[in-house]
Amino acid sequence: MKNQHLTSSLNIFPKSWSEENAGRVPGNIPIWVGILSELTEFGIFFVAYFIAKFYYPNEFISGQQSLNTSLGVTNTVILLFSSYFMAKAMCFIRVNNKAKCERYLWLALSCGCLYLLIKTWEFYWNDLQGFTSNTSEFFTVYYYMTFNHFLHVGWASCAILWVIYRLRNGAYCAKENSGLEALAVYWHMIDLMWILIFPLLYVLR
Amino acid sequence: MKFFFGKLEIYLTALIAITLFNTFLAEQFASPALVNCLIALTVTYKGFTVIDHFMELKQANKNLRFLMRLYFITFPSLIIISAFY
Repeated sequence: MKNQHLTSSLNIFPKSWSEENAGRVPGNIPIWVGILSELTEFGIFFVAYFIAKFYYPNEFISGQQSLNTSLGVTNTVILLFSSYFMAKAMCFIRVNNKAKCERYLWLALSCGCLYLLIKTWEFYWNDLQGFTSNTSEFFTVYYYMTFNHFLHVGWASCAILWVIYRLRNGAYCAKENSGLEALAVYWHMIDLMWILIFPLLYVLR
Repeated sequence: MKFFFGKLEIYLTALIAITLFNTFLAEQFASPALVNCLIALTVTYKGFTVIDHFMELKQANKNLRFLMRLYFITFPSLIIISAFY
């Protein structure tokens, strides 16, 4: 059993990183490779943001004041709710309540779709105001970060649909739910990125 | 659906309240350096809350938790530094 476990984690990590010593890995190892890669990608965007802000402070102040803060706040609240619904879905699958788990997954999906709709409206609103990615250095960073995040919410929403389909087919239960948990931690990672993006683009002056 | 106000609901309420409070601070107060520092601290708190209680890393792998928390120390620190340039 122990050998089987070492094989499943590819035996590439030091012993102190093993689940016996460091604790359980939520979901599975591949999703964490993905999550850490995404964090690196967004980390590069954030560093680019601070460098650009250092060289073009006036463009950033005027750019931030031009954005529709209400839409940013609404999207933040929606994503927080979606994370909450995802956490509740995990709570219910652990007690084998598949009906409630599915209900909360649909709620999380609804939040994802609502976020995408509001973001699309925001891009349209920006376009009406004449703001494009070439308007200023701030808007280049803004579109790069927010459109990238938009794509992540989009494909993670599709993943929720896939997980609902698998749940209905009996793939998850109280004992085996690593696929659902992998989606949950990925979804929370997307929420975490927005928690950083929102103040950087909409709130800080 | 019977509604139960447990720990998750308390954390959700706190996260929403902090978000609204941050936005209000930024809109109303004229001292960007102080406001930016406060916002950076609240971003760290929000990140830690999601990592520990929604992602459930508090009871899981300590290395993953460390890496995730480090992320929410590094970038809010850059926010504080950027408030002074």
